[in-house]
Amino acid sequence: MVGELVPATTTSGALGLLWLIPALPLAGAAINLFFGKRLGKPAGVLGSLTVLASFALAALAVRDLLALPAEQRLVLQHLFDWISVGRFHVGADLRLDALSATMILVVTGVGSLIHIYANGYMAGDPRFGRFFAYMNLFVFFMLMLVLGANYLVLYLGWEGVGLCSYLLIGFWFENKENAEAAKKAFITTRIGDTLMLVGLALIVAKFGSLDFEVVFGHAGSVLTKDTATVIALLLFAGAIGKSAQIPLHVWLPDAMAGPTPVSALIHAATMVTAGVYLVVRSHVLFELSGVALTVVLVVGLVTAIFAATCALGQNDIKRVLAYSTISQLGFMFMAVGMRAYTAAMFFLVVHAFYKALMFLGAGSVMHGTHDETDMREMGGLRRTMPITFVTFLVGAAAQAGIPPLAGFFAKDELLEIANHTHRNGVYVLGLVAAFLSALYVGRMVFLTFFREPRSARAERAHESPPVMWIPLAILAAGAVTVGWLNVKAEGRLAAFLESVAGRVPGDAGLAPLTLSAIAVALAVAALVLAWWVYGSGKVDWQAFTEGFEPLPTTLRNGWYVDHAYDVVVIQPAKEVAWLAAHVVDAKWIDGLVNAIGGGVKRLAQGGRLIQTGFVRSYALILFVGAVGILAYVGFRL
Amino acid sequence: MRTPIAYYLLLSGILFALGTIGVLTRKNALLIFMSVELQLNAVNLTLVAFARLHNDLTGQVLAFFSMVVAAAEVVVGLGIIVAIYRRRRTVDVDDARELRW
Repeated sequence: MVGELVPATTTSGALGLLWLIPALPLAGAAINLFFGKRLGKPAGVLGSLTVLASFALAALAVRDLLALPAEQRLVLQHLFDWISVGRFHVGADLRLDALSATMILVVTGVGSLIHIYANGYMAGDPRFGRFFAYMNLFVFFMLMLVLGANYLVLYLGWEGVGLCSYLLIGFWFENKENAEAAKKAFITTRIGDTLMLVGLALIVAKFGSLDFEVVFGHAGSVLTKDTATVIALLLFAGAIGKSAQIPLHVWLPDAMAGPTPVSALIHAATMVTAGVYLVVRSHVLFELSGVALTVVLVVGLVTAIFAATCALGQNDIKRVLAYSTISQLGFMFMAVGMRAYTAAMFFLVVHAFYKALMFLGAGSVMHGTHDETDMREMGGLRRTMPITFVTFLVGAAAQAGIPPLAGFFAKDELLEIANHTHRNGVYVLGLVAAFLSALYVGRMVFLTFFREPRSARAERAHESPPVMWIPLAILAAGAVTVGWLNVKAEGRLAAFLESVAGRVPGDAGLAPLTLSAIAVALAVAALVLAWWVYGSGKVDWQAFTEGFEPLPTTLRNGWYVDHAYDVVVIQPAKEVAWLAAHVVDAKWIDGLVNAIGGGVKRLAQGGRLIQTGFVRSYALILFVGAVGILAYVGFRL
Repeated sequence: MRTPIAYYLLLSGILFALGTIGVLTRKNALLIFMSVELQLNAVNLTLVAFARLHNDLTGQVLAFFSMVVAAAEVVVGLGIIVAIYRRRRTVDVDDARELRW
């Protein structure tokens, strides 16, 4: 169980400037929004600098946090009273503890690299300034999400990142497909968000507060098991939408319509991991329920395998990465479902590095081949784009789980926990998912970079400018090294997070080394298989793929989930809307209104004949009426 | 010796009947208007007469009100009649019937 944290009393230095960490990107967003067009190229420099400064400040704050004794690593900062109604108070409060510290370092660290990269990638775009305004705004909301000390601030960030995601997916809205992808992302995640809002309302009803301290501190005495399950599942529904888990995963592959830095920042490294953060943050509620944790585990597991198979069938390099992200997020939820919160956070950090790296690498490939995204039209890029190739290879190997790269440690720890807690089904299925991950990553690398160019664009490919490959190199260095933060469960990150996330339960199963050997052997086997089919030249991979029809087409279409939604939800909804518009509204409601209008008109048609226009006849009627009334009154008396 | 109330009421009734006949039979807007004034003053007379009978000033006060309102009404009414005359060169009410239907 988590020990009681005592808020630190000394909040001087960087810890006192906690509010400045999100405020800097907000200021950048405001300046770029209003003056971005006039600023021109410096807009990008400004946008990058604000996030970089935010990162520096975050690093200082975390350093100060680490200097505090372990049981005091909690800083609360009250900015102002947000809502104050009767006994219900919500403050705009920030909270820095081990969990949010980890998140802000990832958000600002990876975020600033992606901002720098975007200076090159977005160069020459007519809405260059606005792009950085949106990106900065996103970083602000993301920081509010992870720094919030209550669910309302978290929800503010939660909706804010959703808005920025929408704006950035549809950044090139002239293209109808992009605009529709943006709408799809917004509406799909909104389903989860709405359920989450219901969950928050329930929390208010039960606790009379949204404050993390109050909710988690009193959860045990206030909530019954069933109520905890309802609240936890409602919160998890929000996480499912935001983190693109089954059944709300359909928006993420389409979200690739946005510029590639957006995909890297929002749809790989940060926003989509908000769901994992939410569940880890609320793990007290999930543990009270128990059932909710099982749901999380199952959803994560199913998503991990499902999305991995989809990734295997994609030809668009960014869609491979999108499905890969969904699958990796599934891994994180698996870890959460097994109460291994530290492992989930470790996975999150590591994934942020290698997936951002691969996305930016894919962006670099697109940049070099004039926006080619179809891997079938690539090939041979290792000679023309050597730096992109090497860095991408590092990211791919990290995801595949090749030691000593970061992904290996994260995946290994996860599988080890599954094994050591005697969840053998989870362990075996996790291995399957890991094998598939290595397989599609191998396919992607071999199709893109090996053999000979398969199109004129691929032949004329050129390396990207330094402003783009330097962030790639830094991220690659990160993907190599961050794994050492947490070698096995006793690592430094685990110790750091223990104050918030607790320790992983579990005794012993197979020896850790044996488990690692199995995982690595499978990853290598998958890569060798991918090489044999796509890289060796001994197999005609196109004919090879066609031999499996209709499976490849099914996978490319993501198991036709979109089609199923179209048939089950969208078409019926359109039918109902048509009915409402053309029958209920046009026939019934308009009919009623028209009938009333027509009736009055017919009545007036008859009534107007009384109006002769002769003043004297009116006077006569008046007179007769008056006499009549008088006569009536007289007879009554 | 007080004049009996019946005389006042009789006079008032005659005046009111004259006014009513005027309103109903005349075609000239100005004459109709004057007949309306006659009716008004017939009513004022009954008000004052009853006020005197009951030794209650309320009726007299009400008569003043009625006169003030009548004055205002005359302003508006005459204005309209003048406007109608300027436009049509006649104040025959049977002619001004465009607004029906």
